Amino acid sequence: MNVLVTGATTPLGAATVRGLLALPDTGHVVGAGADPWSPLLPPRGARFSYVESDLTHRRAVRSLLGGPVRAAHVEAIVHTALHRSARASGRRVHRLNVDATRALLELAADHPTARIFVYRSFAEAYHVAEDVPCLVGEDHPLELAPDEPQWVRDRAEADLTVCSHLGSSPLRIVVLRCAELFAPHAGSQLYDYLRSRVCLRPVGYDPMLNLLSMEDAVRAHLLALARPVEGVFNIAGWDTLPLSRLVALTGRVCLPVPGPLLRPLYRLRRAFVGAQFRYRMNAPRFHLGGVLDGTRARDELGYEPRVGIVWDDARRALDRERPSVRGRRAARAA
Amino acid sequence: METRGEATARRIAELLLPRRDRERLARVSLPDGGHGYDAFGLHRAWVAASLAIGRLMYDRYFRVESIGAEHIPPTGAAILAANHAGMLPLDAVMLHLNVLRHTEPPRLGRPVADWFVPLLPFVSTIYARTGVVSGSRRNVGRLLESGALVELFPEGVAGIGKPFRERYHLQQWTVGHAELAIRHRAPVVPVAIVGAEEQWIELLRLRRVHLFGAPYLPVPLLLPPLPVRYHILYGEPLVLHEGRAAADADDAAIVEEAAARVRRAVEALLARGLRARRGIFR
Repeated sequence: MNVLVTGATTPLGAATVRGLLALPDTGHVVGAGADPWSPLLPPRGARFSYVESDLTHRRAVRSLLGGPVRAAHVEAIVHTALHRSARASGRRVHRLNVDATRALLELAADHPTARIFVYRSFAEAYHVAEDVPCLVGEDHPLELAPDEPQWVRDRAEADLTVCSHLGSSPLRIVVLRCAELFAPHAGSQLYDYLRSRVCLRPVGYDPMLNLLSMEDAVRAHLLALARPVEGVFNIAGWDTLPLSRLVALTGRVCLPVPGPLLRPLYRLRRAFVGAQFRYRMNAPRFHLGGVLDGTRARDELGYEPRVGIVWDDARRALDRERPSVRGRRAARAA
Repeated sequence: METRGEATARRIAELLLPRRDRERLARVSLPDGGHGYDAFGLHRAWVAASLAIGRLMYDRYFRVESIGAEHIPPTGAAILAANHAGMLPLDAVMLHLNVLRHTEPPRLGRPVADWFVPLLPFVSTIYARTGVVSGSRRNVGRLLESGALVELFPEGVAGIGKPFRERYHLQQWTVGHAELAIRHRAPVVPVAIVGAEEQWIELLRLRRVHLFGAPYLPVPLLLPPLPVRYHILYGEPLVLHEGRAAADADDAAIVEEAAARVRRAVEALLARGLRARRGIFR
């Protein structure tokens, strides 16, 4: 099978490319990304090619599908391109997150060779509240509140955009609502939260969380390509644990603080060290938690989480990336 | 790596829980999502700590008597449907401990709490660690699919807040337990808790105070509950799904009739328990 992977320069996109190339029955993989190249990617060769493409323009999507994708006889599209930064907002971000997804779907439906569309969605798109189950199924409501940050709204809108094509498109569409991918530069809010030596949490609450490893995320995508399934699947991770345990495992100090103080404190942190973590966005799950119910993925997709986070590695990586004012200045200068 | 909370719970259990109870708890099969917690937050050390603290109340204060616990299925999914009263859910705690004490092999029930409970600071965490789940169809459905023993109180908040003069008169009787029993092929064991309905007399109810989403704030006449004696009676399991398909759980008439059957069974057990006891403190 020949496959197009969008967002190929992101950690998940690159790992998916490598995972595909490790399979003997994969023909050619076309990677597409906004960057000229990424060291995460395997070298270009007979089985892998890379195309720099800015998917925020519909013309670029059309050129990608009508050019390299058509030439490589791509049968499956794995769409992982999405803005990872919680700081990014605006029309251009929306164009990548939502409009590019819509354009890819529409153009792929008329494509001469494409027949499978796998969309990587996010558990963060689910609505968290006290009156909905803490065990989150695929029929759980999505977060559609208008006052949510664009980071969340775009994820929910893109997910719904793909879901609206289910059953009416000639493509076999699979939506993978992945648990939080706990890895550096993967857009994980919790990863950024844990970059600080002291992690604050609301006093009196210790919510349950579920984290996904890169290995399991890639395996879920490969299964979605291989199995004749269609629809929405929750991709749960192996690590189901409370926030306090997560903080302890990463060698941080957990400090319970009255809930109303957390938002201003984390706003200050963001202002001084340029962190990605937004308390407002995470407040519901920092009180109520929410764990994905992966029963459907297990029964139909054959996916069960197998690989947990390697906590020693995570701790070392987090120690290297501790946020600082100097680091923020350096990042700005770069 | 143990967190401070886990270490505290472990120490409480080591200090206060007798060896036989610890050994009994060690035989309880608990789900583990990889870090010692299940998806709802249940943790063995916390269960042991709650048992250690609760047993003082169970043995000394309320002197709980158990009748008919052999009706609780030793394995597989089942629902315990009980009356509910007493201002604070001490009856649920006593039932929880009673099930753990009187089942062989020992089973840990999963009490189902109202939707506002996860909003309560500290309480929500302690409840989750000791096995309580918030009441939603998916949460309870998943528990039943995994073969859990679910403890339900169909009267809900209306039951726990019933006035003293209404004691032992079942209030609204929700039907969710019957629907879940039919859908998940789980027997329902009717349970009558005698004693809890007299434990606390409510002086007044602050209806405009909704702390953390609670429907009201009750003010008791006395701060500690009365040392009433609890009698927990279990009836024979009702197989509501007998002759029914799982899809019948969507039929409102069938579900209501099944729930009414459970209600009648609980009422009969309550009447039996009230007739048999010699006084509220004995």
